[in-house]
Amino acid sequence: MDVVMNAILISLTAILVENTVFSKALGTSTLFLAARSRKKFFAFGSCITYFSVVSSVIAYFADYYFKENEYNYIFMPLVYVVIIGVVYIVTLLVVWKLAYPFFLSIKKFIHVSAFNCAVLGVLFTNAMSGNSLVEYIAYALGTGIGFIIATFLVSAVYEKLYSEDVSPSFRGLPITYIYVGILAMAFYALSGGTITL
Amino acid sequence: MDNNKTRKKFDKTIFDGLFMKNTVLASGLVVAPIVAVATTLQSAIALVIAFSLITFLTVLISSFVPRDIVYAIRIILYTIIAAMVYVPIAVFADSFMNQQFSSLGIMFPLLVTNSLIITRTEIHFFKLDKLRMLSEVFFYILGFDIVAIIVGVIREIFATGAIGDKIIGIHFTLPFLSTTFGGFILIGVLAAILKKIKLIVRSHS
Repeated sequence: MDVVMNAILISLTAILVENTVFSKALGTSTLFLAARSRKKFFAFGSCITYFSVVSSVIAYFADYYFKENEYNYIFMPLVYVVIIGVVYIVTLLVVWKLAYPFFLSIKKFIHVSAFNCAVLGVLFTNAMSGNSLVEYIAYALGTGIGFIIATFLVSAVYEKLYSEDVSPSFRGLPITYIYVGILAMAFYALSGGTITL
Repeated sequence: MDNNKTRKKFDKTIFDGLFMKNTVLASGLVVAPIVAVATTLQSAIALVIAFSLITFLTVLISSFVPRDIVYAIRIILYTIIAAMVYVPIAVFADSFMNQQFSSLGIMFPLLVTNSLIITRTEIHFFKLDKLRMLSEVFFYILGFDIVAIIVGVIREIFATGAIGDKIIGIHFTLPFLSTTFGGFILIGVLAAILKKIKLIVRSHS
């Protein structure tokens, strides 16, 4: 029971307190791509969640194997990239073979959802925390869900941010940055952060 | 005549990379390192060195990956190349600039999956001839570097009232600028300023 509660707590922390986009800015460029389409943002976010979770499971064993090595900070990025690469290729082959229409619908963005700061960041954060396998999975799941929530919040107003109601200088990317900043401020306050203005 | 054309192309390369298609302020790429790390001039300089070396060398080496290899494999090769390029840079950083690079934290290894390598290589850089590609990569990186330094300086001055060891006599500080949300808002304002300048330039030309 304690393990389950702890896993839920870690997931909630990753969603709200340490939201990958709003508290660490990881995966922001990917979020801008995903938020463009209201139809695809969920599939995009789900792919990121999937790659985070599956790669975390394999990375757990890699971390265990390499944790004593004093030079691991130098070659771990290579190890993680190979892990994500293997997961990516196997996933593509399986989806291509078993669900070709689904493969066609995700093939445009699946490479971006596999190779980005958010997924790689999960592997590094997990490695630093030295958690158990269940906690690795819980954190990866929370990060993916946190990314989906962040993408939904931007996607919901995407058209307004690019509309003519916004002054030309701020229209599009500038106001999107400011909007994400305001959301990040709200998440910061939600996690109990205070700051003197 | 040909010289004129080449000159014009080169001017466009510089103008696009630094200004019109600026990596961070106009294209929305490689945002995370600037927001998360460029909070002081020193960390911005470390970020600029790491990003420039990793990205330039990776794109250069990746350009030799045969195009007849399927895209799914090519994209993995690009990130593996980036992770291998990271190795000597990390060794150098550890040996000579440990203090400066430690301020980058996990953002340093995360640069191997930056969006200039993952997305721009295939859709833009590798469609150009080698020389043009290298000059474009150089100016896109330079565009990022300039923004990183500007953001680092502004955040350090206005969040702490100092730059390095030098205290600047400003009467107010904005500590929120060193936070993640402060970084997003500052970049948003800078992106709006750049867009305004572009609109003015366009209306005059």
